[in-house]
Amino acid sequence: MSTVEPRSPKPEARGRLALLFTLSLLLFGCQPVSETASQPEEVIFWHFWGGEDRPIVEQIVVDFNASQQQYRVRAIAMPGNNLDLKFFLSVAGGDPPDLLNHDEPVIADWAHRDVLLPLGEMATPEELDRLNDWLFPAAKQLGSYDGKLYALANGLDIRALYCNQTMLEEHSLPLPRTIADLDRIAETIAPPGQQEYQRMGFLPNPDRLWAWGVVFGGTFWNPAASETRSMITADDPKNVAALEWMAGYSQRYGPSVVSSFRSGEQALTGTSFLMLADRRYAVMMDGQWRLRDLAAARDTGAGGLAVQGEEDTPQDKFTVVPLPPPPGGVKNAGWVNGNSFIVPKNSKCPQGAWEFMKFWSGLDNEARAAQACADGGWIPVSHEVVNQPAYQQALRDEPLLNVFVELASSENQHPTPPLPVAAYYLQQVKRAAQNVMFREGTATPEAVLHGAAERVRLRLEEVLHEE
Amino acid sequence: MSLKRQELIAGLTMTGPWVLGLLTLTLYPFAASLWWSFCEYDLLGQPRWVGGSNYARLARDISTGGQFWQALGNTAYYAVASVLLSVLVGVSLATLLSQTIRGRTLMRTLCFLPAVVPTVAAAVLWMWLLDPQAGLVNKALTTLELPAQNWFRGTSAAAWPTSWPTDAGGRVFGSKDGLVLMSVWGIGNLLVIYLAAIGDVPRALYEAAEIDGASPWRKFLHVTLPMLTPVIFFNVVMGLIQSVQAFTDVYLVSDGQGDPAGATMTVSLYLFLTAFKDLDMGYASAMAWLLFVIVAMATWWLFRTSRKWVHQ
Repeated sequence: MSTVEPRSPKPEARGRLALLFTLSLLLFGCQPVSETASQPEEVIFWHFWGGEDRPIVEQIVVDFNASQQQYRVRAIAMPGNNLDLKFFLSVAGGDPPDLLNHDEPVIADWAHRDVLLPLGEMATPEELDRLNDWLFPAAKQLGSYDGKLYALANGLDIRALYCNQTMLEEHSLPLPRTIADLDRIAETIAPPGQQEYQRMGFLPNPDRLWAWGVVFGGTFWNPAASETRSMITADDPKNVAALEWMAGYSQRYGPSVVSSFRSGEQALTGTSFLMLADRRYAVMMDGQWRLRDLAAARDTGAGGLAVQGEEDTPQDKFTVVPLPPPPGGVKNAGWVNGNSFIVPKNSKCPQGAWEFMKFWSGLDNEARAAQACADGGWIPVSHEVVNQPAYQQALRDEPLLNVFVELASSENQHPTPPLPVAAYYLQQVKRAAQNVMFREGTATPEAVLHGAAERVRLRLEEVLHEE
Repeated sequence: MSLKRQELIAGLTMTGPWVLGLLTLTLYPFAASLWWSFCEYDLLGQPRWVGGSNYARLARDISTGGQFWQALGNTAYYAVASVLLSVLVGVSLATLLSQTIRGRTLMRTLCFLPAVVPTVAAAVLWMWLLDPQAGLVNKALTTLELPAQNWFRGTSAAAWPTSWPTDAGGRVFGSKDGLVLMSVWGIGNLLVIYLAAIGDVPRALYEAAEIDGASPWRKFLHVTLPMLTPVIFFNVVMGLIQSVQAFTDVYLVSDGQGDPAGATMTVSLYLFLTAFKDLDMGYASAMAWLLFVIVAMATWWLFRTSRKWVHQ
């Protein structure tokens, strides 16, 4: 009797089985989940928030996901450094996020490169009309290019002058309401002629010519210009006057003294806000986010501030004022930037992205947006959000925030011009101002600004004529 | 299969990965960048042929003293200063460390140690050390009643060499000098090469010099130094190429912007910003090729002059 041994499949049969298994996986295993069940569509959202802001952002995402069933936002915190490069590589690779939040002046450039979806592709005409009336002028400018909205701002960054009132009072100096006041504060607290300074009354930052130029009545672009060259107006005489005023500080103190004073600032330990660093400045320009530093210092007693209730501790009082204009200048003026949502052209879920950005900015839900802005100390992009009870409470809790909110609604707050060369423009003007303030014997403010303007004009012509 | 064929297959199999890497990771980017230097290309679309307009832009930048011209100047300053100083310090240290003294091995180890410190850590360390107001280097200078210097620092500022004659505070050194100091600090690798070369100098030459009554200084000048010239030449060529490519430390100390006022904007940093911030790949490629030509010409010049000063 012969025994039958169990047979293993022949090699050919094993191969066929494996092939069949692989094919079945390919055919059925990779089907979109959404087709097999009514799962919400996923919206991949890249942002760069960290620190104290991260939990607020995560809460907004949780609230949005709970507020509806159609979309599910997955927030991915990316390192802010080179975020634009990562985004572009993802676009070039064909797998971008569905939504990105950015704070650099890149919207016009990216829109010009045809990378972004205009909001009109997702929003209804009624929503777009409403948005146009709803946004602060600065927020609208931030997201516009070539007459279309490409981005929806969700928060504005506004700058004003922080003043150490106690220091000013000690020197019998008034709050700076004019440029002459600022000059007097500077020269009284730090008389020129020394080789080294530990503190300054006021020292203009060359990176902020964008703000001072506008305060002096200048403009950086002319949207109505008929030819490309005339659009760039960095060498506007009012901007030159602003830079001459800034350069006056460098001439009085000496460029190397100015640069040395500024260069030592990053080594100061204990605080990132220089107003709190051992009275380094009596007056300095900074943004609304520094109110959080002031509040934290109030709680801990750092930076010459008293711990509330402990009266023996020396106490410095701080206040905030708008940038003071010179005679003939512009009130409530300045340079503004902010955070904006953008949707890449090959986003897989643009409608979900639109719903989420509306939710966050508050177009359909002002109360929720007001709460988020209050939690983060952010400046809303619309009066409607400011007027909500949650934000009004925040303004009562931190009265200094009022100054920033009032400035946010001003028509004299301007972002970097929405041009395809905006980042280059920003850099060129900044460099021109640095050259005047930090280098001995360089060209005049007029010459450096003219040089910067010419370089930007050439670049703009090249970019616009590429088409 | 014949043995010769088997060997051919084995050889190709073993060199294949390397050849593939060379083709895809070196030769293709090399050729592509040459092509792109004649194109307008932003990563997103297809490269568009624009002829020599990127090179014309470079020429215009150079003729008007623009940012590329400034970056070229900064790179030249950094390359020349760091190479010269590293030769000077490297040869001097190697000569001292080649003497038979107690603790020589320990001292050699200590001198080599900075070479193993990661660039990022070294840059952060030097940013602190050279901080104009709180840095230890300036504290030491002021203790010795010497003027504090305006070394590099972050986004804000530092002195420019152009301010040397007029600076009332005696601030002689500027932002690029801080970078040069950093590069010299990490010359451990060069030191090993110099030490090996000194060890290879035939003893007979020293003995002959001693018989002729040569002092230690004359022995160094007429025996050690000439015998070291082939190694110095090698280090100068390699140092020049490396310093032109310097990026990480420059990026860190200048906050990625070449600040202050472009004082630390080197060509490699400007190239990076043009390519990956402005997405102007064509212009960046043209810069890279121009830099390549400049470095090749400098190397050729070094080789040509080497006949006069390198011991054969």
